[in-house]
Amino acid sequence: MTSLEGLASIFPPSRFVRDAANQAAFESDGLTAFRAKPRAVVIPETAEEVIAAVRWCHENSVPFVARGSGTSLSGGSLPVADGIVIALNRMNRILEIDPDERIAVVEPGVVNQHVSDATAKHGLYYAPDPSSQSVCTIGGNVAFNSGGAHCLKYGMTSNHVIGCKAVLATGEVVTMGGRSVESVGPDYTGLFCGSEGLFGIGLEITLRLLPKPEKFHTVLVGYQSLQAAGDAVSAVIDSGLLPGALEIMDALAIEAAEAAVACGYPPGAAAVLIVELEGPAEKIEHERKQLDAVLAKTGHFAERVAVDEADRLSIWRGRKSAFSAVGRLSPDFLVQDGVVPRKRLGEALVRIEQLSRESGIRVANVFHAGDGNLHPLIMFDGKQDGALEKAEELAAQLLRLCIDMGGSITGEHGVGVEKRDFLPEMFDATTMEMMERLRLAFDPRLVANPGKMFPGTEAPTLTQNGLHPLEKAGVISRE
Amino acid sequence: MNESVASPRTFDELRTIVKSEASILPVGNRTKQPLATDPQASVISLREMKGILEYEPSEFTFTAYAGTTIREVNQALQQRQQYLPFDPMLVDAGATLGGSVGAGLSGPGRFRYGGLRDFVLGVKFLSGDGEVINSGGKVVKNAAGFDIPKLLTGSMGRLGVMVEMTFKVFPMPGSDQTLAVACESLETAMQRMSVAAASAWELDAIDYRPAAKSIFLRVAGPEEVNQILAKKINDLWGADVTELTNGAAVWQAVTELEWSQESRPLAVKVPVHRSVMGPLVDLAGQRTGVDLHFSAAGAVAWLLCDSQDDVDQLDRVLLEQKVAGLVVRGAPARPNIGSWPRTEISLAVKQAMDPISKFPRLFHS
Repeated sequence: MTSLEGLASIFPPSRFVRDAANQAAFESDGLTAFRAKPRAVVIPETAEEVIAAVRWCHENSVPFVARGSGTSLSGGSLPVADGIVIALNRMNRILEIDPDERIAVVEPGVVNQHVSDATAKHGLYYAPDPSSQSVCTIGGNVAFNSGGAHCLKYGMTSNHVIGCKAVLATGEVVTMGGRSVESVGPDYTGLFCGSEGLFGIGLEITLRLLPKPEKFHTVLVGYQSLQAAGDAVSAVIDSGLLPGALEIMDALAIEAAEAAVACGYPPGAAAVLIVELEGPAEKIEHERKQLDAVLAKTGHFAERVAVDEADRLSIWRGRKSAFSAVGRLSPDFLVQDGVVPRKRLGEALVRIEQLSRESGIRVANVFHAGDGNLHPLIMFDGKQDGALEKAEELAAQLLRLCIDMGGSITGEHGVGVEKRDFLPEMFDATTMEMMERLRLAFDPRLVANPGKMFPGTEAPTLTQNGLHPLEKAGVISRE
Repeated sequence: MNESVASPRTFDELRTIVKSEASILPVGNRTKQPLATDPQASVISLREMKGILEYEPSEFTFTAYAGTTIREVNQALQQRQQYLPFDPMLVDAGATLGGSVGAGLSGPGRFRYGGLRDFVLGVKFLSGDGEVINSGGKVVKNAAGFDIPKLLTGSMGRLGVMVEMTFKVFPMPGSDQTLAVACESLETAMQRMSVAAASAWELDAIDYRPAAKSIFLRVAGPEEVNQILAKKINDLWGADVTELTNGAAVWQAVTELEWSQESRPLAVKVPVHRSVMGPLVDLAGQRTGVDLHFSAAGAVAWLLCDSQDDVDQLDRVLLEQKVAGLVVRGAPARPNIGSWPRTEISLAVKQAMDPISKFPRLFHS
């Protein structure tokens, strides 16, 4: 095995971790079902150190995994056994905020929420809001093209990244894009976003900021059937409104959220719909009338309009806590994030219910209804023999359902380790081959995050299950 | 211009040509002539492979052949009160979907919701050896696999032959209102654009034309709301504000690159940041042959030029400022001017996408 001496010489001993106790923290990520022990963890504090580490890995053909807060739900930051983890949490400087150009230049370890916090005084914010935003990092968001509850109107991470200086897997340092939202030539920044760490590591990421909406109008609507809630989504869309968020939770998810945070959702609801409008006060005043008229015809039995910001946040608290709350109903669960065409949402939910019944596995549903992004939570008890395998089997059926309906196997979590065997089911052989060629162009030695996205031989180790510690604490959730 | 342009009508015809020709450059209606010409390659137009294949208003998506004109797309969308919010360029000139993706051009509306790159969801294309690649997807949200549709945006037909594409669309705002705000100096214009861009008004477009000493603002939404927002802008900048009755003409002149009083054959796109605006304004002030317009709150400069000499001078400024420019109209000495990064990875990506070098090389410095 290659000596790590050269790598060790780049870092002071305190930031070159090889003892088991410290390494343990890096063995897993948000996909807790898998675990692997890295050979060493390095903790760079400067871009130069990251570059030197990547170059060492390339030269010595030693695999590396870049890692931020490790909240990936697809196992994207799962270490490679006997590889190196490059932990970027100390690369957490906001290098620049330019309120006139409405951009922020940040290092990869900057926490998503901190960008909005730091730019709030200029009346600006960073739009992508994965529900782990209080801990997840921009580097990870870029790698996995993270989403959130507001993608229908504002798009995903890649729609907000306009430039990126990166060290590629070959050690080449490149600057893609820049300070303008426009570019000429092939859009390499766009290609880099969502490449799941297979191309290299972003060092300085330029983000586009938006003005904070002046007003929100948030409505929680209760329905006696999931179908009625789904129909309401179609009615809202067909009315020509473009809400910031359109979210649905089913009875099981409501039950869990209620138990966890007493969010005060309408008792007895088979489904709740959250609609949020945002924009200039006058416009929202106008649109809320339009929304009221649409919702009045959707057969709901309860409606709650947020009267102030605290009330709005309490409506969202139920939604954002739903996933960790499901931990109260089941010791373990898997979550998928497949996408179906919006008009087939109802059909997909019926099919999920049917599959759940057939398999005897409980499934709670929380989803970004506006963009057809499902989040079935498949519950199981990892201590029972074969339970994880059965849950995975159901998960596989749900992914195939999304592919068959013309959707996608992932809307925002990425392929990672979890869904790598399904990518070739979504894309045909020639397309897979083209993607593999692109991967090799960036990483001819396959050292950057191997074992992710593409079906492969590098198998992670299965481990005992349970909620992520942060998830148990309700800090992050599997949105 | 080479006039022997093949225009296959079917997928099989196209594929046969792609396989048989040694070197090809796929084009649409050639409204961006400098990008649609190559001394060695056989030019293949996708203009006859046209038509909308699927349009699902409730999904906010449509799929169409690459040769479909934006005009046809706009008409179909308008019937269902939907639109492409980035103000596609050169619509009247006859731009196609494929050509628009290849050139990577967006108009003033890109300010609000993002540019063409943010609305292209999937692209089916032929590689140089005639293989069919289905990149991206057909749903509005998708994070599976590499985002090749974004790589193809701006690839100018040098990475593959785009055959079909899927776009995201949005509901149309009820109406819009355009205001001109007089700005005596560049400093005033920059300051006011910053205020407008960061305001809660959620403007649709913010443009600036130095020669007209004006910034142009577009509010879009229900008419009564537009009026209230227009009044707020009036209250802020008073006598400098004029509500235009022919607002659409202002924006159309930009998207068609026809705002100049003179007929100027060359048109150049330059993505910029604030420190580049001054040098460009100076250049336009010094040269009568150069007409300058800024779009997207100053994120992109469009320059109309009379002569190659004007373009050469612009090239010099862009090299000094270390920014890249792309000549999209006319017959320039070369389309890429200014400072284009030359990286190992761009060569490797080209090699990966086009291992048999069927397409012309990408532009570099």
